Amino acid sequence: MKSLLLKLEPIIWLLFGAGLSIGTMLLTGFVLIVGLAMPMGLVDAGALDYTRAYSLGSSLLGRLVLLGLIALPLWKGAHHLRSLSIDFRGGDRDGIVGGLLYAVAVCSVIGIVAVIRL
Amino acid sequence: MMAEEARTLTIEITRFDPDRDEVPKTQEYEIQVQDDWKVLDAINYIKDEVDPSLSHRWSCRMAVCGSCGMMLNGEPKLTCKTALSDYDSKLKIEPLANFPIVRDLVVDMDGFMEKFRKVKPWIVRAKERAEDMENLSEKGTFSQSPAQLASFKQFSMCINCLLCYAACPVIANEPEFIGPAAIALGHRYNLDTRDEGDGQRNAIFRGEGTVFSCSFANECSEVCPKNVDPAAAVNQAKLGAVVDWAKGLILPRGGA
Ligand code: FES
Repeated sequence: MKSLLLKLEPIIWLLFGAGLSIGTMLLTGFVLIVGLAMPMGLVDAGALDYTRAYSLGSSLLGRLVLLGLIALPLWKGAHHLRSLSIDFRGGDRDGIVGGLLYAVAVCSVIGIVAVIRL
Repeated sequence: MMAEEARTLTIEITRFDPDRDEVPKTQEYEIQVQDDWKVLDAINYIKDEVDPSLSHRWSCRMAVCGSCGMMLNGEPKLTCKTALSDYDSKLKIEPLANFPIVRDLVVDMDGFMEKFRKVKPWIVRAKERAEDMENLSEKGTFSQSPAQLASFKQFSMCINCLLCYAACPVIANEPEFIGPAAIALGHRYNLDTRDEGDGQRNAIFRGEGTVFSCSFANECSEVCPKNVDPAAAVNQAKLGAVVDWAKGLILPRGGA
């Protein structure tokens, strides 16, 4: 498992990097808009009412964006937890822990694909 | 000069004599210290006036030689750069973490230096060319613009003080990890316009115990006394290794 992870490391890290940028930039922007700008009246509250949000999120492009927004940060989370495990003296169990964490992330992504019917 | 204020400070120092001790022990020294002392001044005072058997390394006293690094209350620091006034009640001085102890505060840095070799820290040319020699006679040495120099200069400012290595949580768990200093040095040569060895180094970086072992705890950059920012180097090296890997998928033989 450990050597497989080592071989896949470039992909693992690319997905992690993508998740990191999305997690830190796009989601922060989303929270800023929905959590601050809309309550403060800077953005018209109707901009994201249920029907508009629904039609946005159910178009093909919308569903793809949703998938990326959820799947990549999930992967990032799995990678962070793996790093955390290594930093807590988990170098020896890294193969199993890393494998399990990425498996959970992949299963969740499959679940998301099923839910949003891509 | 500042008025010389003296106060009493208890300093706890790791002692280890390989001929007599199985494991390191600690010894307490209660000394009168001056407010304008650096930590190194206190250690030198103990060595000169209290206990000549104490062993420690130092040389330049101006944060240049990189030999006086020690753990101060658990944090790796250059003792010649750290003011004693930062420690008002208790100071514990230990040899740098993640290194074998030779004696007292002196550590064995052979393993650390050995890891440098792995990243080929010299200018690699694809082939020794006649053209290199021609350039040499026509234009002088290899020319490099100020901007090209600036792209790696920061990563070449390392003084090998070992602090980043002592701070790295990955090395603590995984002693084979080559560590922040070696990766920063390899990355420095990858960025150097005179160098053509990035393909070789990236292949090394994709192997076991190098860039992808880094968990980006950033401790190395926190403790670096020269603002080399080794964590940035490691993460840029990750990107370089990945780009190189992707190129290898598209173009045969890595395209380089
Ligand atoms: S004595 Fe040279 S760096 Fe401290």
